Amino acid sequence: MADQLYLENIDEFVTDQNKIVTYKWLSYTLGVHVNQAKQMLYDYVERKRKENSGAQLHVTYLVSGSLVQNGHVCHKVAVVREDKLEAVKSKLAVTASVHVYSIQKAMLKDSGPLFNTDYDILKSNLQNCSKFSAIQCAAAVPRASETSSSEKFEQSNLQVSSETQATSELTANGHGPPTSKQIPHQPKGIMGMFASKAASKSQDTNKETKTEAKEVTNASSASSKAPGKGTVMSNFFGKAAMNKLKVNLDSEQEVKEEKVVEQPLLSVTEPKLAAPAGLKKSSKKAEPVKMQQKEKKKGKRVEFSDDETKETVNMKKKRRRLKLPESDSSEDEVVPDSPGIYEAESPSPPPSASPPPEPATKTEPEPPSVKSLSGENKRKRKRVLKSKTFVDEDGCIVTEKVYESESCTDSEEELKMKTSSTHRPPAVTVKKEPKEERKGPKKGTAALGKANRQVSITGFFQRK
Amino acid sequence: MGYGAGLSGLTSETEQGPPPWPGTHHVCRAGCPEGPHSAVPAVSQQRHLCPSARGDVHQLLPALPAGGAQLQPSVCPHLRHPPPPDEALPGSGVRVKKLCELQPGEKCCVVGTLFKAMPLQPSILREVSEEHNLLPQPPRNKYIHPDDELVLEDELQRIRLEGTIDVSRLVTGTVLAVLGSVRDDGKFLVEDHCFAGLAPQAPAPPLDMDRFVLLVSGLGLGGGGGESLLGTQLLVDVVTGQLGDEGEQCSAAHVSRVILAGNLLSHSTQSRDSINKAKYLTKKTQAASVEAVKMLDEILLQLSASVPVDVMPGEFDPTNYTLPQQPLHPCMFPLATAYSTLQLVTNPYQATIDGVRFLGTAGQNVSDIFRYSSMEDHLEILEWTLRVRHISPTAPDTLGCYPFYKSDPFIFLECPHVYFCGNTPSFGSKIIQGPEDQTVLLVAVPDFSATQTACLVNLRSLACQPISFSGFGAEDDVLGGLGLGP
Repeated sequence: MADQLYLENIDEFVTDQNKIVTYKWLSYTLGVHVNQAKQMLYDYVERKRKENSGAQLHVTYLVSGSLVQNGHVCHKVAVVREDKLEAVKSKLAVTASVHVYSIQKAMLKDSGPLFNTDYDILKSNLQNCSKFSAIQCAAAVPRASETSSSEKFEQSNLQVSSETQATSELTANGHGPPTSKQIPHQPKGIMGMFASKAASKSQDTNKETKTEAKEVTNASSASSKAPGKGTVMSNFFGKAAMNKLKVNLDSEQEVKEEKVVEQPLLSVTEPKLAAPAGLKKSSKKAEPVKMQQKEKKKGKRVEFSDDETKETVNMKKKRRRLKLPESDSSEDEVVPDSPGIYEAESPSPPPSASPPPEPATKTEPEPPSVKSLSGENKRKRKRVLKSKTFVDEDGCIVTEKVYESESCTDSEEELKMKTSSTHRPPAVTVKKEPKEERKGPKKGTAALGKANRQVSITGFFQRK
Repeated sequence: MGYGAGLSGLTSETEQGPPPWPGTHHVCRAGCPEGPHSAVPAVSQQRHLCPSARGDVHQLLPALPAGGAQLQPSVCPHLRHPPPPDEALPGSGVRVKKLCELQPGEKCCVVGTLFKAMPLQPSILREVSEEHNLLPQPPRNKYIHPDDELVLEDELQRIRLEGTIDVSRLVTGTVLAVLGSVRDDGKFLVEDHCFAGLAPQAPAPPLDMDRFVLLVSGLGLGGGGGESLLGTQLLVDVVTGQLGDEGEQCSAAHVSRVILAGNLLSHSTQSRDSINKAKYLTKKTQAASVEAVKMLDEILLQLSASVPVDVMPGEFDPTNYTLPQQPLHPCMFPLATAYSTLQLVTNPYQATIDGVRFLGTAGQNVSDIFRYSSMEDHLEILEWTLRVRHISPTAPDTLGCYPFYKSDPFIFLECPHVYFCGNTPSFGSKIIQGPEDQTVLLVAVPDFSATQTACLVNLRSLACQPISFSGFGAEDDVLGGLGLGP
């Protein structure tokens, strides 16, 4: 029953929507591992041809193998049409692998459309392009957007320390200390263990060895470049593969609480789940989990930096507060989204000593939001001038314009704030504006400004 | 353009002062049992030969005292003809002399840097010379000519060479030793010559399992070739483990590094419209390289999410023109630089991957030698540069290069295990052995945009295998595209 679902999906794509269904496209669309996608396509072709031999299906295959040419053993990888498949296979001395590349209704004249399909789906999934692939690299941890931007803009200790960590990772990679390199690069298994940003890789290597151990047998047997399998179609989910997947599932639970790059774990376990519906669900689950993981991670970093910078910023805020003769109303912290963060940064320091939690929460997000500015820019690439309205400690309603990078869903919440009142004591406005100007450019979205999720650090508390 | 044009350009132009090795003459003593060159340590042998304008600057190879001097001690022991036993050089009586000490008719050995006077060599001076009213010379494939002459220079003098020496093969900037005698007409009659030979090599630690490094060059993005885009995508898919079945994916997981050796952008992205056209026409147009760099960024993102990548710039890439080319700036790759597995490196590039030393260039050195020498095969030229112990002897004469004057970073101090050059017209690979048990794998990495071929180097066995990618085209020539045709 569950099988039928994905078959129907493919059927719909191919015949009704007249799409070119490549394995990669299917993998991203259904959220399944690439090998699973290939197997699905193969099943579909088989069934369709059994049911209806006149089926209007054109299939392209990927053939790879080796042959001797000009004295060397050359490896060839080619996308071929079905009618040429046998001819090409016969020319290869050793056929390493053959699998379905794509299915489409119409006969393709050349491989251009295949490339376009793949390119389009890839473009829309650039950030997780290796999510469904069979190889995961432990070293490929995306640098936190905050730290990568702050290398350039900020000089705070936190960034320097995480930068040095990143560079030490680099050197480690470059010179390949055998221990740390072997483990990730040995089959680089389907199970990816991503080192946490702050922690070393070592905690993961243990887990990796476990999973890799299972894969060693497979890897060593296939270690020669042209393993020389015969028709490999039936080998897709051979025993070794199932072992891998089982192992992945086990270790997945262990690393459930891991960081951002947990999604490959989830994606790998997906092939194990029989139900494509389940697959779809789990892919969706992967998304929110991934988001939360990212947010949590950012949250961690936020807190990390807070300790170091809170005092200084507090100091600054206190000083500014003293300058101002007038006080504003207490800021409205109960804003369920990023304006809360901008309140924090806003230089609308009430002259009176504000209650500690307020400046605390205000200052907390400041450094990370500053850091995240460019990072967010990288993610969302949208900087908009928005008005933030809040009530500060003295009860004055303050509106300020800030630049922030936002995702589309975030902007919905922002719009609500825009319509808030703009009542503001003029004197305060005058003094505040220059500071706002200074602070404005430094703001960015909340570190946790992921789409339709927790948008601000205060928002997290409010929901609870 | 270099200084060519008949100037004794190398030494006098670029020498910055008196040689800093006062009085370190090196004279062979007759009867010296081991020969002077092998016995004397390098420091005292710092006879300052044509420094050929090299100084120590940025990265690549560690600082060296001076170009020719570094090479000189190693040149002499390798003279192929062992002179008769009672002569000065290793067991022979032939002395190594400086040009100013030559006596006519006396057989001796001279070490120096070559200069090849080539009438066809493009000369900036001739071009701007108004009295000749010459049109700029059309670019040729090769600038060699039967009338080329070789001149040997040391730090003070130069002398014409004749005799058993292959003029067409050699290029300017080569340091060599010649054995022969000077004739009365002032030319040196060469009986034999030899080069510096392979540098010493530290053995690579043995690996217990197969690791691969993928060498690709000449991706040529922005060139408008759709076929090559599919090939590039297939390459990325194989390396990231999406293509192929389980076994292939496991093998691909053993690829521990990908090195992109230059020419990531296509030649056509280098259009100079903005210089030639009027400003109002080009004001709002985007440079062709912008789109190409975006595409490159996406490809690098896919690759670096899965494997460590080293990106070397090449001739057509947006970085400086002179060698050594600086790494591409990370601001061009906002997506890919998020991954620490992406390393933007220089050209030439040297790295130690799993204990195996790699050294390579994006091919400008080899193609420049190709233009000025009769050697036809890029792999052969690559081997020759290794044997001459200099990556790019023609720099800075005909190949743009930073004017190093103190030391030359392009000299091989140590022999690599894998020596490659990118953007060759076809794949080539060879293993050569040196006299001191050196083993080097030479790889000529072909231009991917033309050949759809990359190279896979097995670090354990030091073997190299080409891997080709293809799609299918309207002409149904699948087999031909794969090279499988009749």
